[in-house]
Amino acid sequence: MTVRNRVLTLLPGIAFIVFAVGLLEFATRSAAINPAAVPPPSAALETFAALVWSGQVWKPLVQTFLLLAAGYGIGCVAGTLFGIFMGTFRAVYDLFEPLTELLRPIPKPALLPALMLFLGLGATMKITIVALAAFFPVLINTVQGARSVDPVMSDMARTFGHSRAAIVWKIVFPATAPYIASGMRVSLGLSLVVVVVAEMLASTGGIGAAMLDSQQMFHVRETYGWLIVLALLGLALSGGFNWLERRIVFWIAPSST
Amino acid sequence: MTAGEALQIDSITKTFGSGVGQVEAIASFSLDVEAGEFLSIVGPSGCGKSTLLQIVAGLMPPTSGRVLLGGRDVTGEPAHMVYLFQQYAKSLLPWMTVEANVGFGFEHRGKFTPEQARVRCREYLDMVGLGDVAHRYPWQLSGGMQQRVAIARALSAQPRVLLLDEPFSSVDALTRLELHALILELWEKQQFTAILVTHDVDEAVFLADRVAMLTQRPATLFGVMETELPRPRRPVETNELPRFLEVRHRLLGHLLAKGTGTHDGP
Repeated sequence: MTVRNRVLTLLPGIAFIVFAVGLLEFATRSAAINPAAVPPPSAALETFAALVWSGQVWKPLVQTFLLLAAGYGIGCVAGTLFGIFMGTFRAVYDLFEPLTELLRPIPKPALLPALMLFLGLGATMKITIVALAAFFPVLINTVQGARSVDPVMSDMARTFGHSRAAIVWKIVFPATAPYIASGMRVSLGLSLVVVVVAEMLASTGGIGAAMLDSQQMFHVRETYGWLIVLALLGLALSGGFNWLERRIVFWIAPSST
Repeated sequence: MTAGEALQIDSITKTFGSGVGQVEAIASFSLDVEAGEFLSIVGPSGCGKSTLLQIVAGLMPPTSGRVLLGGRDVTGEPAHMVYLFQQYAKSLLPWMTVEANVGFGFEHRGKFTPEQARVRCREYLDMVGLGDVAHRYPWQLSGGMQQRVAIARALSAQPRVLLLDEPFSSVDALTRLELHALILELWEKQQFTAILVTHDVDEAVFLADRVAMLTQRPATLFGVMETELPRPRRPVETNELPRFLEVRHRLLGHLLAKGTGTHDGP
């Protein structure tokens, strides 16, 4: 797809966003919506710009990003390793599968009150909760991927005399990579949710805490300014993820050669 | 070059499952394969040909019986024995270049510097006529080219026994003829023992010194025919020889008799 085509496909969607924002602007300016609860979009953007130019945005943004990166990284690595292990060895799968099914559906923010008792309100607690949130989707997808590796591939490697360990590393792991990536995509969204919730509850810095603070001090415009920061962070993370995914699991859906 | 090795298949049986759902796939199969010969195995579809080949390759244990390679018992996957799969698209690794796929067949077997490995990959890719696509990915190639990569990978491991599990059945007819010529050329050059499983009688006769016929499931050896056709085999001339037609006639007669259900088994 050429850049020109890409722009053309995006155009209607962007036009609609402009329309919706314009409508909201009109509704708030004409007081059809209470501007004390919802500031006009232009005012929110202004506040956002002020947060950026004053440099006020950086400290919470960097803090949130680092916690997210640490927790997400730990969760993904652990989920992948454990998932490959469970997906490859039947006995390991049988041992852990019921436990995973039990723990997986718990909404991870529900663990926050307990974790705050154990780990306090600092970085350790937040990294732990993000890692837990990231862990399960990666685990589930990796297990599924590792279990569905085509037997022809591993048989092929066996007939060339590759060891069991070499087959896991050289066949199962790369063959599972697209599944791991799908899990990591789900985890990324969840992690962002969880880190913001954790920050709001702990009130020890970060974007979530900044948002809650501004709301409690009735700086409504600032609350929305932070919302824009979060939206852009999410957009950047997901864009970066797609960019990396296309390069790492490049053999999936090879549309252009 | 490495010479072929003799293989004895000794009273192999294979039963899947147990109790009521038990299926007997192979009922006592014995056959001696000579060193360096090209043997084809034909049988009605679903008769257990591939199961037999997988047992020989050590990919699957037999229920009873044994396979001897060069006089020694085969346990696990023997070195010097390589299996060429029908599903070339699945057996090639999509995340590796063509060259890396070939390297996957031998690099772990000894100490190769990257340069030595590259040279050997190129040697075998040139042999199958694919030297110029070494840096492309398997999914960028046609089916016939992919199977050539698989052949290059199989031979780069310098096998003494090459097991071919219907490797030519999912390419178009013309490509199949090209691959026949290629595999015969490489077989003559490297002198490995070749065992081909196929349901294509023409292919079985054209390539082989001997053709083994299997019965319907549970498979046993129905008989072995010497093709007695001159080499080198030529795609047009060989297929028109009276002897070719005669062998083909008898094999087809056997397969059709089994296929129409005149034998319903016990």
